[in-house]
Amino acid sequence: MSDVKKELMFLLGHYGHIGITFVASIFIGMGAGILLDQKVFDGRTAPWFTFFGLAFGIAAGFKSLFDILWRSSKNMEKKTDEEQ
Amino acid sequence: MEHPILFISIILEKLGLPVPHGPVGHGILEQLCAPYMTYTWLVMAFLFIVAKLTLSNLEMVPGKGQNFWEIVIGGMDDFFADNMGRRLTDQFFPMLATFGLYIAVANLIGLIPGFMSPTASINTTLALTIIVWVSHHFIGFREHGLHYYKHFMGPMWWLVPLMLPIELISNLARLLSLSIRLFGNIMAKETLLGILFMLAGAFFAPLPIMVLGVLVSLVQAMVFVLLAVVYFSQAQEHAH
Repeated sequence: MSDVKKELMFLLGHYGHIGITFVASIFIGMGAGILLDQKVFDGRTAPWFTFFGLAFGIAAGFKSLFDILWRSSKNMEKKTDEEQ
Repeated sequence: MEHPILFISIILEKLGLPVPHGPVGHGILEQLCAPYMTYTWLVMAFLFIVAKLTLSNLEMVPGKGQNFWEIVIGGMDDFFADNMGRRLTDQFFPMLATFGLYIAVANLIGLIPGFMSPTASINTTLALTIIVWVSHHFIGFREHGLHYYKHFMGPMWWLVPLMLPIELISNLARLLSLSIRLFGNIMAKETLLGILFMLAGAFFAPLPIMVLGVLVSLVQAMVFVLLAVVYFSQAQEHAH
Protein backbone atom coordinates (compact mmCIF):
# COMPACT_ATOMS: atom_id res chain seq x y z
CA MET A 1 0.00 0.00 0.00
CA SER A 2 1.30 3.45 -0.84
CA ASP A 3 2.34 5.89 1.87
CA VAL A 4 -0.24 8.47 0.93
CA LYS A 5 -3.03 5.93 1.27
CA LYS A 6 -1.73 4.76 4.63
CA GLU A 7 -1.53 8.33 5.86
CA LEU A 8 -5.10 8.93 4.69
CA MET A 9 -6.31 5.81 6.48
CA PHE A 10 -4.60 6.90 9.68
CA LEU A 11 -6.09 10.37 9.53
CA LEU A 12 -9.58 9.15 8.65
CA GLY A 13 -9.52 6.53 11.36
CA HIS A 14 -8.22 8.60 14.21
CA TYR A 15 -9.60 12.03 13.57
CA GLY A 16 -12.96 10.62 12.54
CA HIS A 17 -13.05 8.83 15.87
CA ILE A 18 -11.74 11.44 18.30
CA GLY A 19 -14.89 13.56 18.45
CA ILE A 20 -17.11 10.80 19.68
CA THR A 21 -14.40 9.46 22.01
CA PHE A 22 -14.25 12.87 23.66
CA VAL A 23 -18.00 12.93 24.22
CA ALA A 24 -18.06 9.32 25.41
CA SER A 25 -15.32 10.06 27.97
CA ILE A 26 -17.25 12.99 29.40
CA PHE A 27 -20.47 10.98 29.58
CA ILE A 28 -18.80 8.01 31.26
CA GLY A 29 -17.00 10.21 33.79
CA MET A 30 -20.12 12.16 34.69
CA GLY A 31 -22.26 9.01 34.69
CA ALA A 32 -19.90 7.36 37.15
CA GLY A 33 -20.01 10.49 39.32
CA ILE A 34 -23.80 10.59 39.33
CA LEU A 35 -23.93 6.87 40.09
CA LEU A 36 -21.61 7.32 43.08
CA ASP A 37 -23.57 10.30 44.36
CA GLN A 38 -27.08 8.96 43.98
CA LYS A 39 -26.83 5.20 44.31
CA VAL A 40 -23.75 4.48 46.43
CA PHE A 41 -23.96 7.42 48.86
CA ASP A 42 -27.73 8.05 48.53
CA GLY A 43 -27.32 11.71 47.64
CA ARG A 44 -25.44 12.59 50.84
CA THR A 45 -22.33 13.63 48.90
CA ALA A 46 -24.15 15.33 46.04
CA PRO A 47 -23.01 17.17 44.01
CA TRP A 48 -19.30 16.56 44.67
CA PHE A 49 -18.75 13.19 42.99
CA THR A 50 -20.69 14.43 39.99
CA PHE A 51 -18.33 17.39 39.63
CA PHE A 52 -15.22 15.27 40.14
CA GLY A 53 -16.51 12.71 37.67
CA LEU A 54 -17.18 15.44 35.13
CA ALA A 55 -13.68 16.87 35.63
CA PHE A 56 -12.07 13.44 35.27
CA GLY A 57 -14.20 12.75 32.21
CA ILE A 58 -13.07 15.95 30.52
CA ALA A 59 -9.47 15.17 31.46
CA ALA A 60 -9.85 11.68 29.97
CA GLY A 61 -11.22 13.19 26.78
CA PHE A 62 -8.20 15.45 26.46
CA LYS A 63 -5.92 12.55 27.31
CA SER A 64 -7.24 10.47 24.43
CA LEU A 65 -6.87 13.50 22.12
CA PHE A 66 -3.23 13.96 23.17
CA ASP A 67 -2.61 10.22 22.78
CA ILE A 68 -3.61 10.49 19.13
CA LEU A 69 -1.48 13.61 18.62
CA TRP A 70 1.58 11.93 20.17
CA ARG A 71 0.99 8.81 18.16
CA SER A 72 0.75 10.75 14.89
CA SER A 73 3.87 12.82 15.66
CA LYS A 74 5.72 9.58 16.46
CA ASN A 75 4.59 8.20 13.10
CA MET A 76 5.91 11.32 11.37
CA GLU A 77 9.29 11.00 13.10
CA LYS A 78 9.54 7.37 12.09
CA LYS A 79 8.77 8.26 8.50
CA THR A 80 11.38 11.04 8.33
CA ASP A 81 13.94 8.69 9.88
CA GLU A 82 13.21 6.13 7.21
CA GLU A 83 13.53 8.72 4.47
CA GLN A 84 16.93 9.92 5.64
CA MET B 1 -42.33 7.87 8.94
CA GLU B 2 -43.12 5.17 6.45
CA HIS B 3 -42.28 1.70 7.65
CA PRO B 4 -39.44 0.31 5.52
CA ILE B 5 -40.29 -2.68 3.35
CA LEU B 6 -37.96 -5.50 4.33
CA PHE B 7 -38.51 -8.55 2.18
CA ILE B 8 -37.19 -11.10 4.67
CA SER B 9 -39.59 -9.82 7.31
CA ILE B 10 -42.46 -10.07 4.82
CA ILE B 11 -41.51 -13.64 3.91
CA LEU B 12 -41.25 -14.58 7.58
CA GLU B 13 -44.64 -13.03 8.29
CA LYS B 14 -46.20 -14.98 5.43
CA LEU B 15 -44.67 -18.12 6.92
CA GLY B 16 -46.48 -17.32 10.16
CA LEU B 17 -43.44 -16.40 12.23
CA PRO B 18 -43.77 -13.47 14.64
CA VAL B 19 -41.88 -10.42 13.37
CA PRO B 20 -41.56 -7.63 15.94
CA HIS B 21 -42.86 -4.23 14.86
CA GLY B 22 -41.07 -2.29 17.56
CA PRO B 23 -37.31 -2.18 17.96
CA VAL B 24 -37.26 -5.14 20.37
CA GLY B 25 -39.50 -8.20 20.34
CA HIS B 26 -41.02 -10.16 23.23
CA GLY B 27 -40.03 -13.78 23.58
CA ILE B 28 -37.10 -15.56 22.03
CA LEU B 29 -38.69 -16.39 18.67
CA GLU B 30 -39.76 -12.82 18.08
CA GLN B 31 -36.27 -11.59 18.97
CA LEU B 32 -34.73 -14.08 16.56
CA CYS B 33 -36.99 -12.79 13.79
CA ALA B 34 -36.08 -9.14 14.36
CA PRO B 35 -34.88 -7.59 11.09
CA TYR B 36 -31.31 -6.99 12.24
CA MET B 37 -31.00 -10.68 13.17
CA THR B 38 -32.40 -12.01 9.90
CA TYR B 39 -30.26 -9.64 7.85
CA THR B 40 -27.19 -10.62 9.88
CA TRP B 41 -27.81 -14.20 8.82
CA LEU B 42 -28.27 -13.04 5.25
CA VAL B 43 -24.89 -11.30 5.31
CA MET B 44 -23.28 -14.36 6.90
CA ALA B 45 -24.82 -16.62 4.25
CA PHE B 46 -23.69 -14.23 1.53
CA LEU B 47 -20.10 -14.26 2.75
CA PHE B 48 -20.10 -18.06 3.11
CA ILE B 49 -21.60 -18.66 -0.33
CA VAL B 50 -19.42 -16.14 -2.17
CA ALA B 51 -16.29 -17.50 -0.53
CA LYS B 52 -17.37 -21.05 -1.33
CA LEU B 53 -18.15 -20.23 -4.96
CA THR B 54 -14.92 -18.36 -5.62
CA LEU B 55 -12.50 -20.35 -3.50
CA SER B 56 -13.78 -23.91 -3.82
CA ASN B 57 -10.94 -24.91 -6.16
CA LEU B 58 -7.71 -23.02 -5.54
CA GLU B 59 -5.35 -22.86 -8.49
CA MET B 60 -1.74 -21.88 -8.93
CA VAL B 61 -2.71 -19.38 -11.63
CA PRO B 62 -5.62 -17.57 -9.98
CA GLY B 63 -8.84 -16.83 -11.83
CA LYS B 64 -11.05 -13.79 -11.31
CA GLY B 65 -12.57 -14.77 -7.97
CA GLN B 66 -9.37 -16.01 -6.44
CA ASN B 67 -7.54 -12.86 -7.59
CA PHE B 68 -10.06 -10.67 -5.81
CA TRP B 69 -9.71 -12.56 -2.54
CA GLU B 70 -5.93 -12.61 -2.79
CA ILE B 71 -5.88 -8.82 -3.07
CA VAL B 72 -8.34 -8.30 -0.22
CA ILE B 73 -6.80 -10.81 2.18
CA GLY B 74 -3.22 -9.95 1.21
CA GLY B 75 -3.84 -6.22 1.66
CA MET B 76 -5.41 -6.73 5.07
CA ASP B 77 -2.60 -9.05 6.13
CA ASP B 78 0.07 -6.50 5.17
CA PHE B 79 -1.79 -3.73 6.93
CA PHE B 80 -2.19 -5.71 10.17
CA ALA B 81 1.43 -6.84 10.11
CA ASP B 82 2.62 -3.24 9.66
CA ASN B 83 0.60 -2.02 12.61
CA MET B 84 0.73 -4.77 15.21
CA GLY B 85 3.49 -7.16 14.25
CA ARG B 86 3.59 -10.54 12.58
CA ARG B 87 2.86 -12.67 15.66
CA LEU B 88 -0.34 -10.91 16.72
CA THR B 89 -1.45 -10.79 13.11
CA ASP B 90 -1.14 -14.54 12.76
CA GLN B 91 -3.14 -15.03 15.93
CA PHE B 92 -5.92 -12.51 15.34
CA PHE B 93 -6.13 -12.25 11.58
CA PRO B 94 -9.21 -14.49 11.19
CA MET B 95 -11.20 -12.47 13.72
CA LEU B 96 -10.26 -9.01 12.46
CA ALA B 97 -10.58 -9.87 8.78
CA THR B 98 -14.00 -11.39 9.43
CA PHE B 99 -15.06 -8.24 11.25
CA GLY B 100 -13.86 -6.08 8.37
CA LEU B 101 -15.61 -8.10 5.67
CA TYR B 102 -18.77 -8.54 7.71
CA ILE B 103 -19.08 -4.86 8.59
CA ALA B 104 -18.35 -3.76 5.02
CA VAL B 105 -20.99 -6.07 3.53
CA ALA B 106 -23.46 -5.33 6.31
CA ASN B 107 -23.08 -1.58 5.75
CA LEU B 108 -23.36 -1.81 1.98
CA ILE B 109 -26.38 -4.10 1.95
CA GLY B 110 -28.51 -1.32 3.44
CA LEU B 111 -28.16 0.72 0.25
CA ILE B 112 -30.30 -1.78 -1.70
CA PRO B 113 -34.04 -1.18 -1.30
CA GLY B 114 -35.66 -4.03 0.59
CA PHE B 115 -32.58 -4.68 2.68
CA MET B 116 -31.40 -3.14 5.93
CA SER B 117 -27.98 -2.85 7.50
CA PRO B 118 -27.62 -5.08 10.56
CA THR B 119 -25.07 -2.53 11.76
CA ALA B 120 -27.82 0.10 11.96
CA SER B 121 -28.80 -1.60 15.23
CA ILE B 122 -26.81 -0.88 18.38
CA ASN B 123 -27.08 -4.56 19.36
CA THR B 124 -24.86 -5.66 16.47
CA THR B 125 -22.24 -2.95 16.85
CA LEU B 126 -22.07 -3.27 20.64
CA ALA B 127 -21.58 -7.03 20.32
CA LEU B 128 -18.68 -6.51 17.90
CA THR B 129 -17.17 -3.82 20.13
CA ILE B 130 -17.38 -5.94 23.28
CA ILE B 131 -15.52 -8.74 21.52
CA VAL B 132 -12.75 -6.32 20.47
CA TRP B 133 -12.59 -4.72 23.93
CA VAL B 134 -12.40 -8.02 25.80
CA SER B 135 -9.78 -9.40 23.45
CA HIS B 136 -7.54 -6.34 23.74
CA HIS B 137 -7.51 -6.78 27.53
CA PHE B 138 -6.91 -10.48 26.98
CA ILE B 139 -3.86 -9.65 24.86
CA GLY B 140 -2.63 -7.25 27.54
CA PHE B 141 -2.90 -9.82 30.32
CA ARG B 142 -1.32 -12.49 28.19
CA GLU B 143 1.65 -10.31 27.21
CA HIS B 144 2.36 -8.68 30.57
CA GLY B 145 0.68 -10.94 33.13
CA LEU B 146 -0.40 -9.01 36.21
CA HIS B 147 1.97 -6.17 35.31
CA TYR B 148 -0.67 -5.11 32.81
CA TYR B 149 -2.02 -2.80 35.54
CA LYS B 150 0.97 -0.51 34.83
CA HIS B 151 -0.78 0.52 31.62
CA PHE B 152 -3.33 2.30 33.79
CA MET B 153 -0.93 3.93 36.23
CA GLY B 154 0.48 6.81 34.22
CA PRO B 155 4.15 7.76 33.85
CA MET B 156 5.02 8.63 37.48
CA TRP B 157 4.00 7.11 40.80
CA TRP B 158 2.76 10.38 42.35
CA LEU B 159 0.43 10.91 39.41
CA VAL B 160 -1.40 7.63 40.07
CA PRO B 161 -4.46 9.11 41.89
CA LEU B 162 -4.94 11.46 38.96
CA MET B 163 -4.09 9.12 36.11
CA LEU B 164 -5.89 5.97 37.25
CA PRO B 165 -9.45 7.34 36.90
CA ILE B 166 -8.51 9.11 33.67
CA GLU B 167 -7.07 5.96 32.14
CA LEU B 168 -10.02 3.87 33.28
CA ILE B 169 -12.54 6.37 31.88
CA SER B 170 -10.75 6.67 28.57
CA ASN B 171 -10.54 2.89 28.32
CA LEU B 172 -14.26 2.50 28.96
CA ALA B 173 -14.93 5.31 26.49
CA ARG B 174 -13.50 3.06 23.78
CA LEU B 175 -16.35 0.65 24.37
CA LEU B 176 -18.92 3.38 23.98
CA SER B 177 -17.37 5.38 21.17
CA LEU B 178 -16.45 2.46 18.91
CA SER B 179 -19.97 1.05 19.00
CA ILE B 180 -21.86 4.33 18.83
CA ARG B 181 -19.77 5.70 15.96
CA LEU B 182 -20.49 2.74 13.70
CA PHE B 183 -24.13 2.55 14.77
CA GLY B 184 -24.67 6.30 14.44
CA ASN B 185 -23.13 6.61 10.99
CA ILE B 186 -25.03 3.70 9.52
CA MET B 187 -28.32 4.49 11.20
CA ALA B 188 -28.06 8.10 10.02
CA LYS B 189 -27.50 6.89 6.47
CA GLU B 190 -30.48 4.54 6.63
CA THR B 191 -32.78 7.14 8.18
CA LEU B 192 -31.75 9.84 5.74
CA LEU B 193 -32.32 7.51 2.80
CA GLY B 194 -35.73 6.55 4.17
CA ILE B 195 -36.79 10.16 4.64
CA LEU B 196 -35.56 11.20 1.20
CA PHE B 197 -37.35 8.25 -0.41
CA MET B 198 -40.54 9.29 1.31
CA LEU B 199 -40.23 12.99 0.42
CA ALA B 200 -38.88 12.99 -3.12
CA GLY B 201 -38.19 9.41 -4.13
CA ALA B 202 -39.71 9.99 -7.57
CA PHE B 203 -37.12 12.69 -8.32
CA PHE B 204 -34.11 10.49 -7.42
CA ALA B 205 -33.38 12.64 -4.37
CA PRO B 206 -31.74 9.75 -2.44
CA LEU B 207 -29.22 9.13 -5.21
CA PRO B 208 -26.45 11.50 -4.01
CA ILE B 209 -26.86 10.20 -0.46
CA MET B 210 -26.50 6.67 -1.80
CA VAL B 211 -23.19 7.61 -3.41
CA LEU B 212 -22.04 9.07 -0.11
CA GLY B 213 -23.42 5.97 1.60
CA VAL B 214 -21.01 3.74 -0.30
CA LEU B 215 -18.13 5.90 0.91
CA VAL B 216 -19.37 6.01 4.51
CA SER B 217 -19.96 2.26 4.57
CA LEU B 218 -16.44 1.40 3.43
CA VAL B 219 -14.78 4.06 5.58
CA GLN B 220 -16.62 2.97 8.71
CA ALA B 221 -15.73 -0.69 8.18
CA MET B 222 -12.10 0.33 7.68
CA VAL B 223 -12.07 2.61 10.73
CA PHE B 224 -13.48 -0.13 12.96
CA VAL B 225 -10.77 -2.58 11.94
CA LEU B 226 -8.05 0.10 12.12
CA LEU B 227 -9.00 1.04 15.67
CA ALA B 228 -9.21 -2.60 16.72
CA VAL B 229 -5.67 -3.06 15.38
CA VAL B 230 -4.45 0.06 17.20
CA TYR B 231 -5.99 -1.11 20.50
CA PHE B 232 -4.40 -4.53 20.11
CA SER B 233 -0.98 -3.07 19.44
CA GLN B 234 -1.32 -0.65 22.38
CA ALA B 235 -2.20 -3.51 24.72
CA GLN B 236 0.83 -5.42 23.48
CA GLU B 237 3.28 -2.52 23.94
CA HIS B 238 5.16 -1.93 27.16
CA ALA B 239 3.73 0.62 29.55
CA HIS B 240 5.38 4.01 29.37
